[in-house]
Amino acid sequence: MESSSRRKFLVTCLGAMGVTGLGAVLYPLFRYLSPSKDAEARQKVTFQLSELAEGGAHYFQMDGKAGVLVRPKGGTIAVFSAVCTHLGCIVQWQKAQDQFICPCHGGQFSAQGAVLGGPPPKPLEKLPFVVNGTTITIG
Amino acid sequence: MSLFRKIHDWLNVRLGVDDLVEKQLTGYLLPANINRWYSLGSVLLFIFTLQVISGVLLLVYYVPDADKAFSSVTAIMNTVPYGWLIRLCHVVGSNMMVLVLILHMLSVLFMGSYKRPRELNWLSGFVILTLVMAISLTGYLLPWSQLSFWATTVATNSAGAIPFVGSYLVEFLRGGTLVGPYTLGRFFALHVAVIPIGIVAMIGLHLFLLERIGVSAPPFGLPDTKNPWKGDRFRHEDHPGGIPFFPNYLLSDLTSVAIYLAFFLLILFFAPNMFLPKDAFIPANPFQTPAHIKPEWYFLPNYQTLKIFPNEFIGLMVQGVGITFLALLPFIDRGREQHPLKRPLFMVCAVGGILLWIGLMIWGHYS
Repeated sequence: MESSSRRKFLVTCLGAMGVTGLGAVLYPLFRYLSPSKDAEARQKVTFQLSELAEGGAHYFQMDGKAGVLVRPKGGTIAVFSAVCTHLGCIVQWQKAQDQFICPCHGGQFSAQGAVLGGPPPKPLEKLPFVVNGTTITIG
Repeated sequence: MSLFRKIHDWLNVRLGVDDLVEKQLTGYLLPANINRWYSLGSVLLFIFTLQVISGVLLLVYYVPDADKAFSSVTAIMNTVPYGWLIRLCHVVGSNMMVLVLILHMLSVLFMGSYKRPRELNWLSGFVILTLVMAISLTGYLLPWSQLSFWATTVATNSAGAIPFVGSYLVEFLRGGTLVGPYTLGRFFALHVAVIPIGIVAMIGLHLFLLERIGVSAPPFGLPDTKNPWKGDRFRHEDHPGGIPFFPNYLLSDLTSVAIYLAFFLLILFFAPNMFLPKDAFIPANPFQTPAHIKPEWYFLPNYQTLKIFPNEFIGLMVQGVGITFLALLPFIDRGREQHPLKRPLFMVCAVGGILLWIGLMIWGHYS
């Protein structure tokens, strides 16, 4: 009986050591392979307003996501996430129509990001920006 | 009937698992006087597996481009979580693999296990040693540091001493006149694909020969086999009355792996830069050779031998003769006696050779 409980104790200790050892190996491995937040983080993106003609759009990456800066004809500057709210394709700016069209399923968005037609369930996500003289800073 | 039992029975009727376990594990008997040195092969298998795993993990972030290689390695060391651990495992592991491989060969030498009928075991082991040296050399360049760049320049340069084809060979190795981006591409392909496949194939052959011929008995104690090799026909050298591989010797193997891990982790955590000198942290500059550039410790005797002889070709020839002699040792030393103390000529040559090798290494380090 005594021998059996000793054996049980030793097996438990061995199991605990094994689990601890396995954890010590697997945790660094998991952290090593996990996507890095720092690597993709862009604190702020800055453009010169002169780079963007009226009616034009400028695509950029921020926080690992695609964004678009648009200057519609006669309208004010707006900055959106360029990711379609339907299935995640990148919306394309149509200068002639002054609107965005998603090439995947034909979703349409206005220059203000509102849904005009097609399957997208909600408007394009607006990104914060600040205009300082001739410079625009996003993020 | 438990689930485990059901799975076991399902496999057993199809694959004969019980028979396999009996044949390869519990019924696989090793010499009764087997000693700790025999487990170095298992330790090497463990180290090689660890090298493959850490190497594959490094591939996740390493960029084999001359413009990005150094910064990718720096990012692995400084930015990627636990990247330093993975890289140091690979760096320290590569050095330890060479060291344990040398110890394994020395144990085989002193216990006379290389003798017939195991000439092919020795030769395949020797090829593995050469491949491990080659994988270390090619891996050395990949971080694209000053150390990598110039150590590779010196190492590839020595091939130029070979008459007639030397300069072409150097250019072929480098993929250009000088060490550059093309060299990195070649060495990367060799390091991560060609040589590892070669090592795996040779390990397979080495283990097949070990299994087919039978484990040699240490020369210390009474001969236990009833089927010794006589040279007339094939005889598998078995060891009736010996100790089973499972669980007895496997436990001994695991103990050796644990002892190895203790040393490995000691270096990893308390002397992490033991194998990374200052120049390993400076990006490669093809226009500035650092002073006193030295190869890795296991190449130091070769490096010093080249320096001793006034003619580089003679230095290479001397090394070539030495290496060939060692590779063909089982065909030269044909005596049956395995006990080291009953082989005085062997002992003098072996101890002298080891002292010379260590002496050249120290001389190379301080020269």
